[in-house]
Order: sequence, then structure tokens, then C-alpha cells
Amino acid sequence: MNNRRNFWLVIGLAPLLLAFCVLMGPSGIGLPDLQTQYDILILRLSRVLAGFIIGAALSCSGVVFQAVLRNPLAEPYVLGVSSGAGLGAALAILTGFAGISTTALPLCAFLMAVVTLALVYGLSSHGSTPSLYGLILSGVIVSAVCSSLLMFIVSVASLEGMHNILWWMLGNLDMPSDPVLGLSGLLVAAGCTGLWIMSRELNALTLGHQMAHHLGIRVKVAILTALLLATLLAAIAVGVAGLIGFVGLIVPHIMRALVGSDHRRLIPAAALGGGAFLAACDALARTIMPVEIPVGVITALLGGPFFLFLLKRHRTPGWIG
Amino acid sequence: MTTAIHLHEVTAGYRDTPVLKGLSLEIEAGEMIGILGPNGAGKSTLFSVVSGLLKPSAGTVKLYGSEIHRMPPAERARTIAVVPQELDVPVPYTVEEIVMMGRTSAIGRFSSPTAEDRLRVERALVYTDVTDIRHRPLNELSGGERQRAIVAMVLAQEPRIILMDEATSHLDLNHRLEIMQLVERLNRDDGVTVLMISHDLQIAAEFSRRLILLDHGQVVADGTPAAVLTEDTLRRVYHCNVRVHQDPHSGGISILAAPRLPAPGSGKGLHIHIIGGGGCGEAILRRLSLCGYTLTSGVLNLGDKDAEVASALGAGTALEKPFCPISREALDEARKLARNAHALIMAPVPFGSGNLTNFDLLDEALTAGKPVFIAAGIENRDYTRNRDAVARVQVLLTRGAALYQDVTDLIPLLPTC
Repeated sequence: MNNRRNFWLVIGLAPLLLAFCVLMGPSGIGLPDLQTQYDILILRLSRVLAGFIIGAALSCSGVVFQAVLRNPLAEPYVLGVSSGAGLGAALAILTGFAGISTTALPLCAFLMAVVTLALVYGLSSHGSTPSLYGLILSGVIVSAVCSSLLMFIVSVASLEGMHNILWWMLGNLDMPSDPVLGLSGLLVAAGCTGLWIMSRELNALTLGHQMAHHLGIRVKVAILTALLLATLLAAIAVGVAGLIGFVGLIVPHIMRALVGSDHRRLIPAAALGGGAFLAACDALARTIMPVEIPVGVITALLGGPFFLFLLKRHRTPGWIG
Repeated sequence: MTTAIHLHEVTAGYRDTPVLKGLSLEIEAGEMIGILGPNGAGKSTLFSVVSGLLKPSAGTVKLYGSEIHRMPPAERARTIAVVPQELDVPVPYTVEEIVMMGRTSAIGRFSSPTAEDRLRVERALVYTDVTDIRHRPLNELSGGERQRAIVAMVLAQEPRIILMDEATSHLDLNHRLEIMQLVERLNRDDGVTVLMISHDLQIAAEFSRRLILLDHGQVVADGTPAAVLTEDTLRRVYHCNVRVHQDPHSGGISILAAPRLPAPGSGKGLHIHIIGGGGCGEAILRRLSLCGYTLTSGVLNLGDKDAEVASALGAGTALEKPFCPISREALDEARKLARNAHALIMAPVPFGSGNLTNFDLLDEALTAGKPVFIAAGIENRDYTRNRDAVARVQVLLTRGAALYQDVTDLIPLLPTC
């Protein structure tokens, strides 16, 4: 089976790619001198780790959103997490709260993302469980409101504040301090494992919610848990690294094309593959130009054409893959 | 015999409109039952309730003695499965993966499929003849292959009850029979209880030993195909004429929709005047308009339901002010319209003192030698003090007017060109 072979290929190649990323940096390609440049190695390691964690979180989140919403265009930011986190970050930067400690900004962004999420769930549920269309719709609305507030804040901000906010929004992996990295790593690992355990629910849910019910799934509980975990993963990613686009949309599609749609394989593949992908993009972002460019630029530039290539090659009806 | 499905006084529906109204039903294990009924009769709602998708607002639903909403999901999946009309799968699962999903509740969360799971899947693939397409994605297959794969998934689930929700309606004749025979064999050999919704009365009659006919959320007939599929019952429920033939040799039943309407355009050039009111003439206006008749109506009150329908269909109408008794002017206007008509029809209108003068139009038409058709049952619609309407109908009948029961009756009586 091609799918199974590809799965082991992804699992095997991801660590290799990660190791290669450690060798790359603005100071040149190659292992830094361990005696004199030990700090550089640590710096690179933590940065590669950050890329891996954020990439894994976004990719897993994207897989789940696409499966549960049964929509190929769904991505981690679909419920408005990104705008909420952006607003939180902007507030933190402008009020000077971000300057207190390195954990302040990610914490602020994460908390606002969670608040947005709660708001979206609250708006879309009438007493019982929220409907999927209600969720998407209230996500769009809440996201629009947050965006306009963010624009307002940017327009009244000082030049320096504006630059900081914009730089944060472009997404980069430069920030995380060790405690942030450690905590987010643990949370992302827990979230991805949780989703992996839900594989059979996710498999059944892609057949439609009625069919999932007939197959013996607790549909409402499964949908809520999956969306909650996926959104929290996205919130962590946004909180730590800002808005990094395309990873959560494209990696799931690429992985589905490589290892198939069975979530028992798809979720670990997306976590490892997505993590390695973002780490590699980040390695490129800090080496190809004398000035470091935002990693979001690279993910879009690499992901877009690759996505089109897949689309052309697999002309299957319905979804690509 | 054990009872497989037991519904007691079930009321259920979407939002606040009940579709099922106090429905009670008992189905024995091992039965093969066809569920029939017109659109909106409650067939799909019945399936939603029985499969536990929809919680009834009143009443109880029990499968093999245990209440469906109290059942753990895994046990529910082992008890009942559904073959939908079609399954939209947005990701490219292969046939084998789809069939393996039938084992979803049997395979533990932390374990992979056992040898037994694989055996069941293999058997389901063979049964439904999809072994040679097992590695192909479901969404690349033809409708028939896809439906067979879904039946295979349900077989792998090994339920005690299978609900088929118009499961064969997208298939051609050959595949339809093939799937039905497969299900019949499951029913016969493994004792699986089968309920199927079908709009194909023929197939339902052929494969079911018991038919349940629903209408307006209630059971209107329940019994053997021969007892349920009578011309009278079908006509009452489907509002159209059918012919039911029973083959004297095989006992098979065939149902033909008898021509319900004259050929389109058969009324072309003919003019019919309709006396309606309060919405009772709506169906007549609509059907006759489809046949191509030129229509007029009146006298009607402005704002009346029939008046709106008539104007929408372009029928000339003599109108009176809202809630006013018919005036001389309005009647004269109606007279002008009726004078050119080839026939007059009186819809099942309730009569009071205000609209009684409409009978003059019918009187005059009979005098002029035109056919006049009167809806039966005037006794129940006469609200005049001295039962004047009943008296006037009796006079019209002695003068040669014809009675009709409903629209399906009426149309063959009308003149054609």
C-alpha cells in the first residue's frame, strides 16, 4: 500500500529534516563550533523546536477542522481565534504590558483567543449544542468585529507600536522564551495526542454527522471536543508565534494526499510533517536573505505552488488527495 | 416472537411542528417491512426517531426492549444501522476503509482491527461484490458501486435491524433488484429485521411481507401488500388515481398510475367558469389551468384566497368588496364572464346569505344548455338560515347538473376539444 509506505516515509524523514534545520542559520550553514558558539546552537535548537511545535499544532488543528466541518477550505483560524489573539497582542503591546516579561505577550494573545472562542460558542448555541453553520457564521462575525477593533488600535498607535503589532501579525518564531516554549510544547503534545485518540470519531464524522451517529459515535460530544481541542491548539500557536498562515490549510491536504484520509495515520503524519515543514520554512526565512524575513511569507510562497501542483496531479472529484 | 421495534404514542418533529402525531407501531424481529406514504407523511422522521437521531417530544421508542435514548452508542450501533439514499464523502476514503468503518464501534479506541473484524469486512465485501474495487476511492465510483459499498459497510456493522432510507432510488433496475435481493437474503438467513422506505410501490410490494402506509404522521394502513395497496386507499392518500392489478398466477402486484389529467393542452380553446371562495377552488383552478382551459371565476370577494390564485393564473374574475354580500353589479359582471363559458363548476364553497346569488349563474347556464358540475356534500356547507343552498342544489340536480367528489373525479367529466 502506497499510503502506508508514505506514512513511514513521513515519520522517518521529519526528524532528518529537523536535524538539517539546526545546521542552518544566519551565521552560515553547518554545525557551529561547540566550544565557542555553544549559545548559537542552543538558540537554533530552541528556534527549530518552536517551529516544530507551532507547525504541528496548526497542521493537526487544520486536519480536524476540515474533517469536522467537512469542508476543504476550513483552517485553524476559521472560528476567529486569529483575530482575537491579534487583538490581545495589540493591546498588550500598546499598553506596555508586553514589556513586563517575555511570557506576557503570548499569554495575552492566548487569553484573548480563548475569550473569542468562548464568545463564538456562546453566540452560536441555542440552549443545547451549537450547529456547525452557526459556529462558522458567528466565527466570521466575531472575527470581523475583532479585526475592526484591531485596525482601530493600529490606526491610533504610535509608529513604534504599529511596527511591533504588524511584525507580530506577520508571524515569526523569534520570540518564545524557555518557559513559553516548554509549556506550549507540553500543551501541543497533549492536544495532538488527544485528537489522535479521537481518530475513529474523526473518521466517522467525515461521513456526515448522521452516519457517524449510526456508526455508534456520540456525535455532539465528539464534535465539541474535537473543535475545542483544535481551536486551543490554534490559540497556542497564535499566542506564541503570531499569525502564520497556510500551514493549517495546506499541510493537511498534502498529508492526506500522501498517507490517506484515515485519521489514525493522518494525525501523527500531520503533526510530524507539519512541524518539520514549518521548521524548514523558518530555517529558509533566516538564511536566504541577509535580513530575516517573516516565516509566513515562506510558508505561503512554498505552500501555494505545491498545493496547485497536487491539485493538478490528482484530479479526483471532490477533494484533492 | 420478540418485538424488534416498539413505538408507543410517539410524537416527534422538527422545532415545534410535530410530524409524527401519537404514532404507535410494533414490529417483530425478522420482519421485512415497506414504509410507504406521500412526501411529508413522516417516513423519514419515523426513521430518525427509530435510529435515535431525533428524540421524540412524547412517547417511547424501544429496540429489543431497551429504550433507544438510554442505549450506549456502541450497543445502538450493534442493534440498528441505516443505509442512506446516498452518502457524500468529502475525502477520498477507499471502499475498504469505508467498509471497515462499519466496525467503528466494535473496535476499541486503543486497539486495531482484530482478525475477526477483518473477516467480517471481507465477508461484507464479497457479499456485495465490491472486492475488485476495494482499493478505489469511494467518490470515484458509479452510483451503483458506491451504494453497494455502503451496504457492505452496514453489513460489516452486523446490526439486528437495518433501515433502508430510499436506499435504491438512485440505482438502475438491475442494481436495485440486486441490492434488494441481498437484503432479502440477510433477512431470510440471518433474521435481520428490515424496514425500507420506498417510493417505488412495486418494489415495496414485491419484497415486503408487510406494508405500513403513513399519511400526516399517522398509520393509515398496515397489513399485507394486497390489503394495503388497494385502489381506494392509494387514491385517498396520494390524491391520484391508480390501477392495482394482481397477477392471478404469481400473486405479484403491479400498480399503474392511471392518467390523472387529460393530455396537456386538451382544454385549449375551451372556457370554464368556476364559482369558488375561501380557497376551496384553488386546486380546481390550478389543475384546469395546467390542462390549458381558459378560466374565469366569480363572484369572489376581493382579497379572497381563490381570487388571488385566479389573478395569479390570469383568470378573469368578477369581484365584490371584501366581506360584502354580492351586489347586483358584481353579479352582472360574473354573468358576462359566465356567458362565454362552455361549462360551469361549483367548487366546494360554503354558502351563506351573502354568496347565495351565485346560484343564479348556474341556473342560467343550465337554461342555456351548458354542463354544470357541483361539488358533492352541500349539506355540510350550507350556513343559510333556511337551508336555501341545499334546496337550490336539489333544483339544479333535477335540471341536469352533475355531482363530483373531488378534482380527480371532475377532470374526466369536463368537455375536451
